[in-house]
Amino acid sequence: MMNLFRTLFRKELLDASRDKRSVMAGLYYSVGTPLLMCLLFSVLFKQLSSSDELLISIDNADAAPALVQYLANKDIRHGEGDDVKAIRLVFSTDFQQHMQQGRPATVIIDTDRANDQLQTAIRRLERELGRYNSDIATLRLMARGIDPQLMQPVDVQLQDQATPDSRGGTFLAIATLSIILTLFYAAMNLAIDTSAGERERNSLTLLLSQPLNSLQLVLAKITAIACFSMLGLLVILLVSKFAYGMVPWQQLGFNISLNADFMLFTLLIGLPLALLSASLQVMVSFVAKSFKEAQTYVTMALLVPAGLSMVTAYNIAPDYLQWLPIAAQQQAMIAYLKGSTIAMPQLLVSGLLTLAIFAGCSYASSRLLKSEKVVFGL
Amino acid sequence: MNTLKLKYLCAAWPLVAATALLMPAAASAQQTKLITPQQAKPALTPCYAKNLTDRMLCGSIRRPLHANAPTQDASIDIHFAVLPAINPLHPQEAVLGFAGGPGQAAFDAAATFVHGLRYARESRDILLVDQRGTGKSGLLQCDSLDLTSQFALDENNLDMAAITRQETALCLDKLQVDLSHYTTVAAAADFEAVRLALGYQKLHLYGGSYGTRMAQEYMRQYPDAVLTATLDGVVPFNQSFGAMGAASDASLEAVYTYCDASPECRQQFPDARAQLQQLQQRLTAQTISTTVRHPRTYELIELKLTRAKLQQALRFALYSNRYRAMIPMVVEQASQGDYSALVGLMLAQDFAADLSIGVNFAVVCGEDRPFWTAQSQAEFTKSYLGHSWLQGAEASCNVWQVKPVAADYTVPLQTDTPVLLLSGGLDPATPPGWAELAMAQMSNARHLIAPHATHIVASQTCAPKLISQFINQQSASTLDDNCLKQELRHPFLTNANGTAMTAAAALQISPVSTPISDQE
Repeated sequence: MMNLFRTLFRKELLDASRDKRSVMAGLYYSVGTPLLMCLLFSVLFKQLSSSDELLISIDNADAAPALVQYLANKDIRHGEGDDVKAIRLVFSTDFQQHMQQGRPATVIIDTDRANDQLQTAIRRLERELGRYNSDIATLRLMARGIDPQLMQPVDVQLQDQATPDSRGGTFLAIATLSIILTLFYAAMNLAIDTSAGERERNSLTLLLSQPLNSLQLVLAKITAIACFSMLGLLVILLVSKFAYGMVPWQQLGFNISLNADFMLFTLLIGLPLALLSASLQVMVSFVAKSFKEAQTYVTMALLVPAGLSMVTAYNIAPDYLQWLPIAAQQQAMIAYLKGSTIAMPQLLVSGLLTLAIFAGCSYASSRLLKSEKVVFGL
Repeated sequence: MNTLKLKYLCAAWPLVAATALLMPAAASAQQTKLITPQQAKPALTPCYAKNLTDRMLCGSIRRPLHANAPTQDASIDIHFAVLPAINPLHPQEAVLGFAGGPGQAAFDAAATFVHGLRYARESRDILLVDQRGTGKSGLLQCDSLDLTSQFALDENNLDMAAITRQETALCLDKLQVDLSHYTTVAAAADFEAVRLALGYQKLHLYGGSYGTRMAQEYMRQYPDAVLTATLDGVVPFNQSFGAMGAASDASLEAVYTYCDASPECRQQFPDARAQLQQLQQRLTAQTISTTVRHPRTYELIELKLTRAKLQQALRFALYSNRYRAMIPMVVEQASQGDYSALVGLMLAQDFAADLSIGVNFAVVCGEDRPFWTAQSQAEFTKSYLGHSWLQGAEASCNVWQVKPVAADYTVPLQTDTPVLLLSGGLDPATPPGWAELAMAQMSNARHLIAPHATHIVASQTCAPKLISQFINQQSASTLDDNCLKQELRHPFLTNANGTAMTAAAALQISPVSTPISDQE
């Protein structure tokens, strides 16, 4: 029995590794995704980081030389040319006069808040203007012999439990998403090839004519595919560790580092998922009548794990989704990276669910292989 | 009531408070008495500092109080806090921040340190240690006067030296401590013990004000532990705090020079200098008794306005460009009998309140006073502040009886370690000349001056970036100091709301007298 399985497994591995193109296609994802992400993040960072000079248009700057100088000291200046953000700061003509009389002096920020690229710059400008406000108010009170702290009846002190590792937020979610999806994309070509492909090459009938039961055959295929998924997972973890290490996260005040412990943890919780991925895709491929049809169906089926992963990543999942496969594992990975508590009940339940789905799909595939319609693709 | 005088103490000898101070050198004998490194790593618990949202990790180690006789029972818990690096690229290194005072607690100033070291923190931990006798490490504090009592104190007609002696004796009685164990020299070993306990191989030092002296002393005792040192507002070994009086006077003079150069100020206060001199003379001759509003409770309280209070208020105002802009207006109004703006300025000294009196006098009496000469005293006494500080230090030190540090204490630090010195051109406490004194024997040092900054350049300029570059490159030679030259001075207040318009501007904007609506 074990011997038979081992032989089948070896045959599947050999088959799969002979088809180098399929294997490589799966691994391209593992290698390429982190590199692409790294590139995207770096571009994004240029937009997000605001520590550098901010050039805007300032109208009527003569009306408020003190405020203009204050902003210049905060690296916000009037500029000309391409680097200037589409933000116009307008001082009213009676600015100085109102200032002098202790009336509010008007400053207009003219901009488009729907423009995402300007959000950081607008917030920064508003923050600095707010500081100038409180600076001047402080002086006005002191000039009247009043403690400026009276303006702050409540001293709000925020104590943030976040650590640099836990502030990654969306970036962390996207990184884990790309890692989880490897298990599915690395398996896709092989799953189709070993099922629909085998049928089209007519070797499936030959196999089934041997003295073995279809469940053994299916399990051997799934195990072989899962092995390649795990290889893909290992590769993406290694490449991610390297690639994410190059991104200057610290400039945004957080850090994403994948250490060896995290990699082991991911490989462990990824194993059931690899089995699920392989069994699901094998089943779908058998249901399809042809190789091409299988490709279409499998691609569609993969939308489910991708969707689950994405709602988790963007934190829009309803609570019950946290108990489902993929979502729970991804949550656990994020929690591990953040250094927060891992929701063990969810992880265990989803682990069992994952294995149950794997068992269900495997059994369904073995039943399918008892049907002539499936075996001959009729 | 007793406590009340102490406060006065603090107020009267302002040089001591709030700024850079001194430190002596004791003995190399201490070097061998370090805590033993085999100690278990201290337990770290999450903690938060004021005005800093980031979570820090706090811990403490026990240290013998007597460095030369560690077998004695007396010990002290040295508390420290680590702000973890955002991306720990250099886990074996940390940036150690030394606070000012002397007597300021580093943890209390954490937000200031983190601002100055925010770029350095991207890749290295920040380590803050409460120097022995400050903050959580056994704060040596006595009660001080509340604001109402402070305002009511008539320095002109009281024997201040006697009051100082009396209050100091009460404080000594309360603390029951030999301040000889709290000098800069004695404290250096605590920092080294914390380094060893936390397992850092090398440190980058950042000292502000008196902290620069602590940093220099640490380098002197433990040169191998230091990769770089940034000294911001430098206090050299061979300079007495008494010289701060002259520095403060020069900084005040710069306010008036700038006023002369500003059309608005010159127009509004044509006799600014004369007004100040007249006010000073008047207050020296006699106390002005008046009633003012308490700045917080708004109750009417008594104010005995004296030269001491005026100088004190000006001295602290000079620390900030914001308050400097008020000085000509404050002086003019006070000359005309309106003291409310002066009361506002007197609030600026609030920040000195949490200093450790014990550490302050340990440093002043153990490391500064022993090196006074007749010549230097004559020099210090030329300025009003120097004179009053000298008197206060004399009266207090006679009570504290701190053992002087070794005679070679005032020898400038000799080192090859890369050192970056930062000075503010308008600094009323540690002028740029002090940094030049400190770097005389440093072979790898660079001194950068921010011409318009006051005390502590990192809080006011682009220096945090330069500090980070310096730490990363371990060399100051390629730093571009252009950004330090930016204009930081504020336009002078010409009335209680802000800066007056120039005549030309006023003409352009003739008042419109027909408002459509008036919400008020």
